[in-house]
Amino acid sequence: MADKNYYTIDPLGKLRCVKCGVPLEKGKAKFLYLDNGFPVELPVCPVCGFVYVPEELALGKVLAVEKALEDK
Amino acid sequence: MIIEERNSTHVYKQLRMLSKEELEQLEGRCVHEQPAYCVAACPLKLDAKALVQAVSQGDFDGARKLYEKIAPFPHILSAGCDAPCGAKCKLAGLGDAVEIRALERAAMAYGQRGKARGILRMKKRKTAAVFGSGLYSFFLAGELNKKAYPVTVFCQEPDLEAYISAEAGFAPAEALAADAALLRETDIVFRFGAGLDRDLVEAQREKFDVLCLSPALYSSLYPAGKAEEALQYDRENRLVTGRPRGVTESAFCAKKAALTVDRLAQNLDPGNTRGEEGPVETRLYTDTSGATALTRVPCQGDYTREEAVQEARRCIQCRCDECIKGCAYLQHYHKFPRVLTREIYNNVSIIMGDHMMNKPINACSLCGQCSVTCPNGYDMGEICHLARQNMVATDKMPLAPHEFALMDMLFSNNEAFLCRPQPGYEACKYVFFPGCQAAAIAPETVKAAYLDLCRRLDGGVALLLGCCGAICDWAGRYELAGQTKDFLDRELAKLGDPVVIAGCPSCKKQLSGHEGLEIVGIWDVLLHLGLPEGAHGLERPAALHDSCGARGDAGTQEAIRSLAKALGVELVDTPYSGDRSPCCGYGGLTAYANREVAGEMTAKCLERSDAAYISYCMACRDRFARQGRESRHILELVYGTDAGAPPDISQKRYNRLTLKKELLWELWQEETKEMKLDFDLRFTKEALRLMDERMILKDDVIAVLEEQRQTGEAIYDADSGLTIARRRIGNATFWVKYTPLEGGGYLVHSAYSHRMQVERRQG
Ligand code: SF4
Ligand code: SF4
Ligand code: SF4
Ligand SMILES: [Zn+2]
Repeated sequence: MADKNYYTIDPLGKLRCVKCGVPLEKGKAKFLYLDNGFPVELPVCPVCGFVYVPEELALGKVLAVEKALEDK
Repeated sequence: MIIEERNSTHVYKQLRMLSKEELEQLEGRCVHEQPAYCVAACPLKLDAKALVQAVSQGDFDGARKLYEKIAPFPHILSAGCDAPCGAKCKLAGLGDAVEIRALERAAMAYGQRGKARGILRMKKRKTAAVFGSGLYSFFLAGELNKKAYPVTVFCQEPDLEAYISAEAGFAPAEALAADAALLRETDIVFRFGAGLDRDLVEAQREKFDVLCLSPALYSSLYPAGKAEEALQYDRENRLVTGRPRGVTESAFCAKKAALTVDRLAQNLDPGNTRGEEGPVETRLYTDTSGATALTRVPCQGDYTREEAVQEARRCIQCRCDECIKGCAYLQHYHKFPRVLTREIYNNVSIIMGDHMMNKPINACSLCGQCSVTCPNGYDMGEICHLARQNMVATDKMPLAPHEFALMDMLFSNNEAFLCRPQPGYEACKYVFFPGCQAAAIAPETVKAAYLDLCRRLDGGVALLLGCCGAICDWAGRYELAGQTKDFLDRELAKLGDPVVIAGCPSCKKQLSGHEGLEIVGIWDVLLHLGLPEGAHGLERPAALHDSCGARGDAGTQEAIRSLAKALGVELVDTPYSGDRSPCCGYGGLTAYANREVAGEMTAKCLERSDAAYISYCMACRDRFARQGRESRHILELVYGTDAGAPPDISQKRYNRLTLKKELLWELWQEETKEMKLDFDLRFTKEALRLMDERMILKDDVIAVLEEQRQTGEAIYDADSGLTIARRRIGNATFWVKYTPLEGGGYLVHSAYSHRMQVERRQG
């Protein structure tokens, strides 16, 4: 299944889900905004499904894409 | 309350912002692209302004190239041109016109001839014969040669030198020789010593497609001929000819004649599609205050290079940029209103694809300064405002640029809203309306002002703490603006429709849109009542910044000055004051939609003076103080209060709530429910700074943490040692990074948000 991921982050074992007490793993997620969706790979809790969006990503790429979509 | 984000980018609704005609009429007001006076005056369409500029930079080659473009024989022309450009030069009205003709000569003398003039061009098949000598036929032969027609000249002179000098006795020998050399390079064929009579002319009709006659020959051979001046054409005799006088007119008529030949050669009517010819009227406006050198550089004969450069530097490069000079926004985008309007119009009209102009549309402060600085009253703000409303109507306005401001307005008119008659009154004669920013930034001053008004005015003074609706109006949210207006009208009706005492000029302006409402400024009331005890001015001279909300409101501007005088403040003169005042960057929500441009606007206000600033709009006071300038609202001086360092966005909300709570308790003995946090919450300094920059409120952080306490959801980052929680609130997801404190509290290190939604995906 070779769908393109717009962004990939590997948690490298440094992130842990506080609730479930397990390490986050690289997992499939998607961003949704103004009728557009983008597949990404982000740190995800394998138990509860918490998807983590790091600060750099939110203020970098995510913000840039938001702005581009807003002006469509 | 949540303002709903638009759902789709693919909305096919469209609303017309302006009709094509309205657009053209509007654009027509901007004279920026009108030709300079010298350029408009030249019948040959020389770009004299550019030529003078090239000379002023010592670029004689460039100058020469411009001149050669309009003159096949530039040496003789520049020796004898009447220079109508000079007569129309803007400097002629103030002193000496720029010596454009002398500069043309300098260009010819010191510039290198442009090369590649004779790239092999295919000669045209149609041919022309030119009879007679003199400037007109000489220039005409040259123009036709430039158009690549094979030309044959029939003249009675024996050789080229005699032919050239026939009517050019005014030109120095070098000029004649130089143009003779140019003539030799052409492939114009000469029949010297021709016996020029009517038979010879008529006999050539079979050999040539078009016949052209010199004015002298035309008069003698066809004395009854009626050549049309505009076309240089005698239809009856089928001759291209005319009766020009003088050097410049000959050159101009030769151009018209050459165009006629062109049309005839293509079997078109010579009157067809000729385009603009000759001198034009210009509507240009130019500020001449920058013109300092008003006397020409004297010259004996011709200018030296240096003299020419010096003379050219006197030129003020006439153009209109009155609007851009005063406006940081127009400077930022480097565009004139005419161009900007067209681009915005096109942006608003496209249905799908990138809307490149959304940013500029939302960056204008709608301040109206341009409508005053522009000699023709071009109001760019009105266009941006219309465009915003249009974007809202067609669901193309992104929420992100204005959401924070809109939510803040809703906060002002809900949680922080207060409307009460003065204790002891049911209906009041007055209502004090300080404005949302005053309550947010200087609550103590608002309180002092209200108590003072209650004390000194008869008939009862009600209090209305809220937003006038300017914010949603600026955002283009006209429906919300309508609702806000109705809401305020209902509240005012409950008070018995009192006279509004506005504390802010923008509120005053906004409320003046309510029918039947009487509004005065608190400054007017204070002038009438006199200053209260404790009022005192500044020890240092100060600059007065006029609020953009008071533009066109001479009464308010005057009242503030009288008030400053009464306070004993010495005001320093600044450029761009009164109606020409720039916006501080808050107006039009620029501060929310485009911080960069807003910052440039603030800087532009502050560059006018080094003094302390006094303003009468709390937003101006706040933005200047943020830049580290000593900045006071005039009411702070009147009431001897000092709002101090500018509050951050959370503090601004807290101030409004606290003011409401205090007044409710002190004046109306009503107690407000205290919302107490049941956990300890602290912020690092850096976190507070980031939150202000990212427009994240403490309330947002609290909401995230409250959810975290319930769900227990968070992640731990071993690298930073921080715990991170999140919550979706309204249209954004907020993230908070913290370290847990003992006893269940939080120390917040950072917070951030994004508008995109994130979901887990299967497969
Ligand atoms: S001031 Fe600006 S808008 Fe007005 S005519 Fe001049 S360039 Fe155009
Ligand atoms: S000042 Fe310069 S640009 Fe203006 S009319 Fe004179 S020559 Fe032309
Ligand atoms: S910011 Fe003010 S002066 Fe500048 S274009 Fe907008 S309304 Fe005109
Ligand atoms: Zn989990």
